[in-house]
Amino acid sequence: MATEVLMPALGVSQETGRVLRWLKAAGDEVASGEPIVEIETDKVTVEMEAPASGVLGAIQADEGQDVPVGRVIGLILAPGEAPPATAPPEPPPATGGRRASPLARRRARETGVDLKAVAGTGPGGAVTAADLDAARPEAATEPEMSPVWRRMADRVSDSWASAPHFSLTRDVDAERLVGWRAALGGDVTITDLVVWLVARALERHPEVNARWEDAAPRPVADVNVGIAVAVDDGLVVPVVHGANRLEVREVAERRRDLVARARDGSLRPEDVQGGTFTVSNLGMLGVDAFTAIVNGPQAAILAVGRVADRVVAVDGRPSVRPRMNFTLSCDHRVVDGARGARFLATLAELAEEPLRLVK
Amino acid sequence: MSTRSVAAEAGERELTFAQAVNEALAQEMRRDERVVVIGEDVAEAGTPFKVLAGLVDEFGPERVIDSPISEAGITGIGVGAAMTGMRPVVDIMFGDFLTLAMDQVVNQAAKVHYMSGGKLRVPMVVRTTMGATRRSAAQHSQSLHAWVSHVPGLKVALPATPADAKGLLTTAIRDDGPVVVFEDKMDYQVCGPVPEGEHAVPLGVAEVRREGIDVTLVATSSMVRVALAAAELLEGDGIDAEVVDPRTMVPLDVETLVASARKTSRAIVIDEGYRRYGVTAELASVIAEGAFYDLDAPVRRLGAADVPVPFSPALEDVTVPTPELVAGAARELIRGGS
Repeated sequence: MATEVLMPALGVSQETGRVLRWLKAAGDEVASGEPIVEIETDKVTVEMEAPASGVLGAIQADEGQDVPVGRVIGLILAPGEAPPATAPPEPPPATGGRRASPLARRRARETGVDLKAVAGTGPGGAVTAADLDAARPEAATEPEMSPVWRRMADRVSDSWASAPHFSLTRDVDAERLVGWRAALGGDVTITDLVVWLVARALERHPEVNARWEDAAPRPVADVNVGIAVAVDDGLVVPVVHGANRLEVREVAERRRDLVARARDGSLRPEDVQGGTFTVSNLGMLGVDAFTAIVNGPQAAILAVGRVADRVVAVDGRPSVRPRMNFTLSCDHRVVDGARGARFLATLAELAEEPLRLVK
Repeated sequence: MSTRSVAAEAGERELTFAQAVNEALAQEMRRDERVVVIGEDVAEAGTPFKVLAGLVDEFGPERVIDSPISEAGITGIGVGAAMTGMRPVVDIMFGDFLTLAMDQVVNQAAKVHYMSGGKLRVPMVVRTTMGATRRSAAQHSQSLHAWVSHVPGLKVALPATPADAKGLLTTAIRDDGPVVVFEDKMDYQVCGPVPEGEHAVPLGVAEVRREGIDVTLVATSSMVRVALAAAELLEGDGIDAEVVDPRTMVPLDVETLVASARKTSRAIVIDEGYRRYGVTAELASVIAEGAFYDLDAPVRRLGAADVPVPFSPALEDVTVPTPELVAGAARELIRGGS
């Protein structure tokens, strides 16, 4: 009995997956659990394992093809088993009845364009190759967008359109943070310290560690802090799960692993799921302060600016201090101004006196 | 007419087409005493076009033989001489007169090697002319190279430059079968660089005269000049034309023609023979067969109008393709329109 290889659901909201690369060819013997194909979703790339042992039969999805979740992409046959009869392949788009040059016809067939939908400027209205190019400017630019970028575009649009945003900014003294980082050594970054502090602040303000779901704010028990990571083709937000239960060095270690895998495209679905709050740090790019878009359905996101020496009043006198800005963007449906301000106050106090937390 | 060109490469100088033909014959006659020339007005007169001027002085009337007006006779003499070991170059003054020699060319020269089981060969060259616009009227202006290109057993060369006039004639003389070489009488005074010394151009190798990406102009003989001039006109419109000269009709370098058409996706064939059932039809078919799935437009053909060539200069001039005509056809192919 043939075992069907199905396009897996790797994420909750995933509708399609792309067959990136077949690791086995039709006719190859495969063992159950052996990687046979690379699947790419809008979030991650995973190697899919064979669901059974046998011979990889008819491959039904080409490399680069987007396939709906649950659709059969291949069959694993028992040794000696013949592949079941399959429906004849879909005929190419009909081109009859339309004047077109041989080159235009061939290109249309290769790219799956319906010649009937293309305006022809050749003799007698014949479609030429140039007409095909002119007819699909979007098709020409579409492949330029990576799944990562598309996903980012969809998510910020959804959030911006549905979540009423407001933001709160605090100017924070960073002397202790800088000193703490120096004491911990070079592998720990300001981002690691902020993530760790945010996790502690969220423990104290469970109303901020919440989601807007089913038309109501819903606090989440786990504290899972996402870190916005710029990759070549967009933005991904891997999550440090249970950040409130980790030591700073553990946060740093986890962050290093996540960022490295975000950059080489090997994040797993579980790495990017379950976030309850997001930290975005552009300080290393020289940004003083900015407002971020809430990573829905989370309730808030913290935008971290750079640490810089500034002249501030200390005890009524001008003093040069390392300072930084924290800007909290909130979904007003979950976090109102006062709740957001109280959370930010806690975070600022922890940042200015982190040793209070270190026993 | 000959002027030295400062741009000429080492071992090259500028010669007229006629001088290049003359040089090829002289060099081959010096190299091989079996090479003889026979034809009407070839000796003292050096042909009406003065192409053979001076040959009789060097090689004597025994090797540069003036014949009576009898194309069938001199061609038959050429076939017999070739079968018995000579390498005759038969001069048919006007290509129009090939009709008189057709039995010798088509039924004898082309067939002897095959019908003798390979025991006899006909290493003969028929040199003749083509091309209109010399105000020579209907019986002295035709380009009948399609007729002989149709017959298996003959090779057919159409040199388009002085260098090829020398190189292709040299190869034709050395070939062990019958070769018909058509020279455009309007090309004889055209100058160009010609290699000194031995220069043999292989038969069946096309030459890309100009590289381009938008349209392929396949042109023969004097139409190469027309196509190159058309390419200049098209350049002003931002159209980059490629000009390919097949150089020989038989054997035909199909590969180069098809490769060029596949590259540009459009082709126009320009030849001075009558358009109907002619060289353009054959070349267009070969291109369409080889490049069909890469063609973005039908292969166009431009040839001589299907009429007897008029004596009236005004009328004669509109029977042959011009640079403007070729450029117009190319623009239509590229920009569409019916």
